Amino acid sequence: MPYHKFKCSECIPEREKHAVIKGPGEDITSALPLGYLNTIPGSISERGCAYCGAKHVIGTPMKDVIHMSHGPVGCTYDTWQTKRYISDNDNFQLKYTYATDMKEKHIIFGAEKLLKQNIIEAFKAFPKIKRMTLYQTCASALIGDDINAIASEVMEEMPDVDIFVCNSPGFGGPSQSGGHHKINIAWINQKVGNVEPKITSDYVINYVGEYNIQGDQEVMVDYFKRMGIQVLSTFTGNGSYDDLRSMHRAHLNVLECARSAEYICNELKVRYGTPRLDIDGFGFEALSNSLRKVGLFFGIEDRAQAIIDEETARWKPEMDWYKERLQGKKVCLWPGGSKLWHWAHAIREDMGVNVVSVYTKFGHQGDMEKGIARCEEGALAIDDPNELEALEAMEMLKPDIIFTGKRPGEVAKKIRVPYLNAHAYHNGPYKGYEGWVRFARDIYNAIYSPIHQLSFVDISKDEIPTDTSFLTQKMISDVNLSEEVTASKELREYTGNYDTITALRNKTYPDFPAEKRLSAV
Amino acid sequence: MEDMMKDRVEQLVDYIMKNCLWQFHSRAWDREKQNEGILTKTMQILCEEPVEKETPTDKCYWVDAVCLADAFKSRYAWMATLDKGEIKLLMQGLKDRIDYLTIKGSLNAELTDPHY
Repeated sequence: MPYHKFKCSECIPEREKHAVIKGPGEDITSALPLGYLNTIPGSISERGCAYCGAKHVIGTPMKDVIHMSHGPVGCTYDTWQTKRYISDNDNFQLKYTYATDMKEKHIIFGAEKLLKQNIIEAFKAFPKIKRMTLYQTCASALIGDDINAIASEVMEEMPDVDIFVCNSPGFGGPSQSGGHHKINIAWINQKVGNVEPKITSDYVINYVGEYNIQGDQEVMVDYFKRMGIQVLSTFTGNGSYDDLRSMHRAHLNVLECARSAEYICNELKVRYGTPRLDIDGFGFEALSNSLRKVGLFFGIEDRAQAIIDEETARWKPEMDWYKERLQGKKVCLWPGGSKLWHWAHAIREDMGVNVVSVYTKFGHQGDMEKGIARCEEGALAIDDPNELEALEAMEMLKPDIIFTGKRPGEVAKKIRVPYLNAHAYHNGPYKGYEGWVRFARDIYNAIYSPIHQLSFVDISKDEIPTDTSFLTQKMISDVNLSEEVTASKELREYTGNYDTITALRNKTYPDFPAEKRLSAV
Repeated sequence: MEDMMKDRVEQLVDYIMKNCLWQFHSRAWDREKQNEGILTKTMQILCEEPVEKETPTDKCYWVDAVCLADAFKSRYAWMATLDKGEIKLLMQGLKDRIDYLTIKGSLNAELTDPHY
């Protein structure tokens, strides 16, 4: 697994240790990219800052909260609207964004008065919302504005409101990940233990590291509810502020996205003895194992198995329809965050798609260990690539598709590599059994789009073919398949609904008797 | 014989690396506990020995161990041909290898960082 040197980065020799290729018989002890370091001067980065990690990744998916940034209005934009972490309270957290709008004069004279005025104004504008998170930014941190003091003043004057202070200015870490750490620790220090929840089940969990992209959280919570498990809080997608203050009462922390949220799980373990179980929410086998593990922990594995059997029978024939058509396709898996490892093996197993490259923009070496361990030989692993490296990698690897974010995705399209949005999804949710089929459907649609075929025609020099008719997706995808596959009565394309989430919100669940509580009475 | 043992250990390592997450906690001390807890319990399950699962932490190790033991038994037919002594030897080899890959031979500079 030698380090890989990009031609375009020859002038930045420090970049050499940020990329490796997994060679034959090699493992993570042969070479590992550097990670979670300050970006090298001279090299462009696509990273966000520590404020972005705290506010946009962890904080903002919390649904019943005014998220106020104490800084220039531009800070609130960063990644806003590109993450579709929806909520079941009419997407309050996505509709509005708040900043104190600091200007030059505030830098000179201080902005504490401005902050207080803004907090009160925001609460008055949204009288039903009584909770706020206050985020420090570079500008207000550098001038020393005491946002804790202002929050306390307001809470004294307005006793019905509660404010959480997040001191994670942009310069507070080398990347988003520094902000993840800060907001996790700040939340457990300031807020956990402040609210006593109503316990309604013998089996109570916190679902940690889930951001409800396009409804992912609601899919997973549906499974837990079907098992009779009470989900006390979700950290933080579709999560409510007060539920998250009662995290200390859960019996188990079910952790999905490790690096953004493991800090809070580890602290809950130290302070309250709550154990941590790591799960995968993507992929048929991985998800089945996850449900089974949670079931086993509580001694209700039969309930988990019933869900696994029902969902697999319903959705596997649809997954297999896509697997037949995606077999051997190559993907650059550049999602950022936990999908680096959640998807690396599962897409190969369930869809037959080979991962030729993984990357992380702000991951730690531990994140890369997981990603590389789950890839096959020949995969290129890159830490914090710049745009030119990304282009060079795609030209070298010639992937059939790339799963990544909006910005690198648009770059990929320029060189005619179809892209799927791995951050906010195309037509998610992608979690759950049905979600995984939706993901396969989106991959199929991207790779076999007839329009994508046309994009390879260079109208400045190529002759436009007039002797071929319009090809449908199936005409392109099925050309090399056997008749046994194409005529199969068992396999079928995705048959689910466009909106899979609304129905979950109106669903009723079986009432499992609470044995321990009843016997204790 | 040694080659066969090595090959079998590598098959089990490959399953763990592709399908599990417990081996990659973020600090060396944490990885040591995880590897010891889960792989010892997996060995006990495979040898049909009693398994400690009274504390919440032990229960978490046991949960991962049950799934691992089931996966090993269903994927590797040769597992059924081993006696208890051979299973213990194999599992010790597996633990040594996982400890090497995730702790002793790991290039992850953060493993010994005292802070989270």
